[in-house]
Amino acid sequence: MAMHHLTLPPTRESVADIRVGDIVYLTGDIVVTGGLPAHKRIVEYLDAGKELPIEMGGVFIHLPHMVEEKPDGSWTIHYVNPTTSTRFNNFLPRFIRDLDLHILGGKGGVGEEAVEAMRENGCIYVSILGGGSPIMSECIKEVRQVEWREFPAHFRLSRLRVENLGPLTVGVDAHGGSIYDALNEQARDRLPEILAQLDRRRAEAAGA
Amino acid sequence: MIDEALIQEVTADLYSAALRRVPDDTKRALAAARDRETSENARATLDLMLRSTALAEKKDTFVCSDNGFPIYSVEIGGRAHWSGDLKAAITRGFNQLVGTISPPLLKHVANPLTNERGGPGKDMPAINVDLIGDADYIDITCIPKALGSGRFASIKTFIAPSLADIEAYVMDVIIDAGSQHCPPVIVGVGIGGNFDMTAKLASRATYREIGSINPEPLLAAMEERLTEAANATGFGPMGTGGETTALAVHIDYAFGHGYTPVAVCFNCWINRRAKARIYNDGRVERIF
Repeated sequence: MAMHHLTLPPTRESVADIRVGDIVYLTGDIVVTGGLPAHKRIVEYLDAGKELPIEMGGVFIHLPHMVEEKPDGSWTIHYVNPTTSTRFNNFLPRFIRDLDLHILGGKGGVGEEAVEAMRENGCIYVSILGGGSPIMSECIKEVRQVEWREFPAHFRLSRLRVENLGPLTVGVDAHGGSIYDALNEQARDRLPEILAQLDRRRAEAAGA
Repeated sequence: MIDEALIQEVTADLYSAALRRVPDDTKRALAAARDRETSENARATLDLMLRSTALAEKKDTFVCSDNGFPIYSVEIGGRAHWSGDLKAAITRGFNQLVGTISPPLLKHVANPLTNERGGPGKDMPAINVDLIGDADYIDITCIPKALGSGRFASIKTFIAPSLADIEAYVMDVIIDAGSQHCPPVIVGVGIGGNFDMTAKLASRATYREIGSINPEPLLAAMEERLTEAANATGFGPMGTGGETTALAVHIDYAFGHGYTPVAVCFNCWINRRAKARIYNDGRVERIF
């Protein structure tokens, strides 16, 4: 398990040596959202060939965030926390390719088609601790931009400056490796033996 | 006599407490899991979880941004006396807190017909009521149910299943949830009754204290072997590998007919729940 401190924006090259199971910390600007409406609107922009109102910088993280603008235009950063990325599986392959992503993040992993798109584009997936809000929120240093403010706070598309956001576990690397696919396969392979062990334990309990 | 104002106050306090504090039984279980884990990554993740719970307490802030689907489980003692409108008091306490809590809440409550978010809405907060025998108190438990773990609950109706059939189904649901529900989870299993009873049994089973022994020996043995089985899958903390996928499997049952619904649900690792007991004389005791 190697540790990487990445300065953003990332490139295909800067994530190339990172492998599944490694730990990363991110410093720089990240683009975040937590919701379906933002994903749908990104698709509308892509379909229409319109430029997004925010510079993606190669990083897209499923990170609901509660930030509030003060009257003087500065921001109060209350908290952030990841959401489950598999909810957005249908969107991700296209986003990875068309938005030129090199770091995708959230929690719970992504589907196989996204893993393939990540391999093609040179992109990693980082798992953020769900329920790690007190730790991760301290890494958010500045709110740089908030778009689509008609959405509830966590559904907006925002750019945040982070310092040493982490530790984040690499769940998918840029070479087709996915901890999620591997663990799913492992669990399904183990299931017959797990059920056989349950049978044995049940028989022991009945005989006791 | 328990009055409306007290119910309202307790209701508000419980939701706030549930969002900020990982219960003691859960912290103990996480620490024990960390000490048992042989995978370095899994140990580090469990350590991070414990650090997060400590920091949330120190900063008096939320452990998770998802303040969840708000559920109040109300158990009314047969000898409890209260005045006023219980439902109105709970709803008022909840709404008052939502409007004033710091830091502010994200608006997760949604209209399922339009997917519009923003609440408050119909039947919010959810209030489940049960009657308990010979007791001079009302128990209120608040469970903010997040999307990450709520999404993977499942129910299936069998005809006269064997324990092996039930256990195989529980394992299927656990494997389908895989890495996604913020493991290590507490697995709740309900067996029997009818459709809604089964789901309620499963849900209530997750509230039980981790480490407590099921009073039914058959179920105690089943819980033990299913916990081992869940942990043999290898999904691990946050689903990135390890030997701790479930902190506990808790099972409850009810007599039913030949058709037997089985429900399986999850609480994520922060296992948010807060419970208070309000006695007729106005004393309030926090259970967890």
